Amino acid sequence: MINVNVFCFLASYLVAFVLEAARFLRRSASRRMLLLGFASAGFLAHTLYLVNRSRESELPPLLSSPHDWMLVLAWLVVAIYLFVMASDRDLVLGVFLLPLVLILIACAYFSSRLAHPDAAQVALKGWGMLHASLLLFGIGGVIMGLLLAAMFVFQHSRLKRRRILGNRLRMPSLERLARWNRLSIILSVPLLTLGMVAGVILAVLSDASADPGQGITWTDPVVVVSGVIWLVMAVFFGWLLTPGRSKGPEVARLTIWSCGFLLVTLMALQVLTSDGAWTVPTFHGAVGERSR
Amino acid sequence: MNVRVAFCNHHSAGLDLRERIAFSTPDALHDAYQQLRKGFPDTETVVLSTCNRVELYAAQQDSDRLLSHQDLVQFFSEFHQLPVADFAGELLEQTGPDAVRHLFDVVSSIDSMVLGEPQIVSQVKEAYRLAQENNASGPLTNSLFQRAIGVSGRVRTETRLVEGRVSIASVAVSDFAKGIFDHFHDKTVLVIGAGEMAEETLRYLADEGVCAILVVNRNLERAQALAERWRGEAADFSKLDAWMARADVIISTTGAERPIVDVDRFRRIRDQSDDRPLFILDLGAPRDFDPAISDLDSSVFLYDIDHLEVTCAQNRQSRQTEVRRARDIIDEETQRFMQELYHRASGPVVKQLREEWHNISRQEIDRLFAKASHLNSADRQAIERTVERIVNKLLHPPLESLKVAAREGPPLGLMDALKRLFLRD
Repeated sequence: MINVNVFCFLASYLVAFVLEAARFLRRSASRRMLLLGFASAGFLAHTLYLVNRSRESELPPLLSSPHDWMLVLAWLVVAIYLFVMASDRDLVLGVFLLPLVLILIACAYFSSRLAHPDAAQVALKGWGMLHASLLLFGIGGVIMGLLLAAMFVFQHSRLKRRRILGNRLRMPSLERLARWNRLSIILSVPLLTLGMVAGVILAVLSDASADPGQGITWTDPVVVVSGVIWLVMAVFFGWLLTPGRSKGPEVARLTIWSCGFLLVTLMALQVLTSDGAWTVPTFHGAVGERSR
Repeated sequence: MNVRVAFCNHHSAGLDLRERIAFSTPDALHDAYQQLRKGFPDTETVVLSTCNRVELYAAQQDSDRLLSHQDLVQFFSEFHQLPVADFAGELLEQTGPDAVRHLFDVVSSIDSMVLGEPQIVSQVKEAYRLAQENNASGPLTNSLFQRAIGVSGRVRTETRLVEGRVSIASVAVSDFAKGIFDHFHDKTVLVIGAGEMAEETLRYLADEGVCAILVVNRNLERAQALAERWRGEAADFSKLDAWMARADVIISTTGAERPIVDVDRFRRIRDQSDDRPLFILDLGAPRDFDPAISDLDSSVFLYDIDHLEVTCAQNRQSRQTEVRRARDIIDEETQRFMQELYHRASGPVVKQLREEWHNISRQEIDRLFAKASHLNSADRQAIERTVERIVNKLLHPPLESLKVAAREGPPLGLMDALKRLFLRD
């Protein structure tokens, strides 16, 4: 088993981000290769780390702990980034996307690494997997929404201020960014909803099979905050689909606020419910000794 | 050196002359090649004829038989039925490395009217293709033009010469309009006025797939003429507001003395339309649209000549700074090409020398084997390999000297000496 830790891929992505930012200063084919090299090396280390973690816990990464779940989310975002970069060399994407990846990994570092003992139960495993996967793709959609909205605001501001990108760099048009942004929200809200439903079923099953007071409770902080977040997203979703809404920067800014709120809350929650100094007891990640 | 180019371009001659000596149609070019083949059957030729330049490249394996500048002038004169005196002074020439460097300059667009413009590469490729099609090119021009296309690629990738657009219309469409709209086939373009710059912008927009074009002008006839050229519609100036409310792209170039659309008028127009993005390109001087319109609505993007000219000037400046780097590449490539060419010229002597020496060694080996019949197969192979090594080692110094001499120019003296010293007649 190759020994890989979080810092290996965090550092690779950080260098890739710096190289991405440097593309605005001067175009260089060698620098681009270096950038792809660092991002790919980070991705490889990231994958190995998740495989190692999965072997250690004998659970899929999505189920083992909030730490692994967030790293899978970051892994998914990097996979999208590498795919896009391989197919379009001039697209400006990394400067928007890689900071999110770095934040996700940093939050994962401070999140609980211990799985709840019930997570391995065969009866709950299927529902747990469904719950975690749906939420993963739902949150992935939210991240894409945030990213596209940030790109929209940047592109809009550039066009309004009559600035060119230079160095043959390219960004998608406002029309395309708005369309993709809308699509990402429209896809993520149903996924989050289904994820929540799967979570409710999981809670009922867990409650039935657990010792009294040991299952998921409705006052579990993760359950409460997730419910609030879902509500916010559902309201935003409804607003977005209402005919006659403005389709321009207003939507982009609102997307940034709502998706940003969701992500910040989610990450803060994962950190606060971790096994560190300010722990909040929750079923989502067991409380125990930190082992980094 | 055996390449010569006779040319006139936008630096040396006016459009009037360039038009008169151009080969503007495929038929004219075909006839020209036919006449060249008839007059100079042993000479390879390539004609490059664009709106900014007319160039005739001639190459000949044997330097002594290369066409003179006078031959080429005469050809132009006879083909176009023009007195030599009308154009001889403006038809420039370059030979040898200078001719090669000239072609590399041209294909890298250093010599173009708009520095770094991309069309010239495809024009050179097309010229070379037509020369091949007309059986006018040959080994020399093949390697020259193939190398030229390679040089252009190198200049484009290793310098920033082609980066950034330098015309108002291309900056407007490529850097700004395409940042707003994903595609143009479903967009309505409204042209107010019928100026030249509006037409140039329409050309770029048409390349992006614009289908619906409407031209509004105070002079309906001029509007109709422009609309006809772009398969659009012409409308009366009185319907301007209604059309502005429907347009996605507005190009304005009226030449009016004061803005024709102020903030109040624009607000009324915008009330009639939904909130979809609107790209306004104000090419009027003075401006046709009040600049304050830009702040009315986040979906309105207004650009005037000054805004775009700043970008064009920055890009032009940036390209100028890259010329020196491009020239370094061109000098290096010219030198390398010439060395290869000179070295290739010594090819027949090298071949002859190798054959001669290996034949002699073969004869001596055969004689030895005939006398020493006791030698077994392994001994014979060992002797053959040894003799071959000796011949190769003996050949190495003269061949290396040829290669070194070819760096400076055609090694004619050395080739002659080798022939005299080592080759039988």
